[in-house]
Amino acid sequence: MDEVTDEALLVAYANGDPRAARALTDRLAPRVLAHAARLLGGDRAEAEDVAQEAMLRLWRIAPDWRQGEAKVTTWLYRVTANLCTDTLRKGGRQVRLDAVADPPDPAPGAVAGLTGAERAGALQTALMALPERQREAVVLRHIEGFANPEIAGIMDIGVEAVESLTARGKRRLAALLLPRKEELGLDDE
Amino acid sequence: MSRTDRDDTGLDAFFEAAGRYGAAPDAAFRARLLDDALAAQPAPTPTPDPTGRRQRPGWFAALGGWPALSGLATATVAGVWIGIAQPAAVGDLAFGGFGGDYDFSALIGGSYTLGLADG
Repeated sequence: MDEVTDEALLVAYANGDPRAARALTDRLAPRVLAHAARLLGGDRAEAEDVAQEAMLRLWRIAPDWRQGEAKVTTWLYRVTANLCTDTLRKGGRQVRLDAVADPPDPAPGAVAGLTGAERAGALQTALMALPERQREAVVLRHIEGFANPEIAGIMDIGVEAVESLTARGKRRLAALLLPRKEELGLDDE
Repeated sequence: MSRTDRDDTGLDAFFEAAGRYGAAPDAAFRARLLDDALAAQPAPTPTPDPTGRRQRPGWFAALGGWPALSGLATATVAGVWIGIAQPAAVGDLAFGGFGGDYDFSALIGGSYTLGLADG
């Protein structure tokens, strides 16, 4: 089902096809979970709660989904970001510097793996120092690889505003991270 | 979705590492999501025949399907032909049976004539 679009799969899901449920889950859940973890500061349990709720809302809207109006991913990332905002505000926190994702098994190459995990952890910590909207724009652009017009659709803002958010976010990240280049093993790069 | 705008700040290595070390669903989480998906899923609806053929209505099967319908069509055509075709043979039969030389007295019989005279 790799060649079938998300929208077509959602229609098949709404028509009762259980294969579509599995295909959409496998296709979208990893992205939603990773996105939620990045916006929430790496808290795995919170990220799973958000991802599960976002997917549940997708299932519920499926029968009423109007094809051609929006991409499934655009809708899903927007819902995920809104749920993350609610979670952060419910917890009374805007910045969480101590919640860094646990690195997975570093093999193969223990040294290189640990260095990558440390870099990812350092970036996550620095991302949490950004305002929410800057963090979301930077994550969508530079980690998840969305184009600016898609990000504009997800965040419901203009492309110029996306460019401004990502530029300011990157400047702030560079100021936070690049003084640590030697510590993070980036001297030779 | 390609990563562009790279790299005038030296942050690329961080972004790439974050992409490699993102949270990934484990089996238990995937199972929870699938449970949700199947529980929320509407009941199946009839789907079009994948060969593109339209499904026959119920009355079609109730009549006996194609064999019965072909017999019905043959009978219909035969009826139309009988109605339209020149009825010469039928006319011969009619005149042969009810022609002017037909003697009604032969049908009525003498006893009937006597009965009327008596009455």
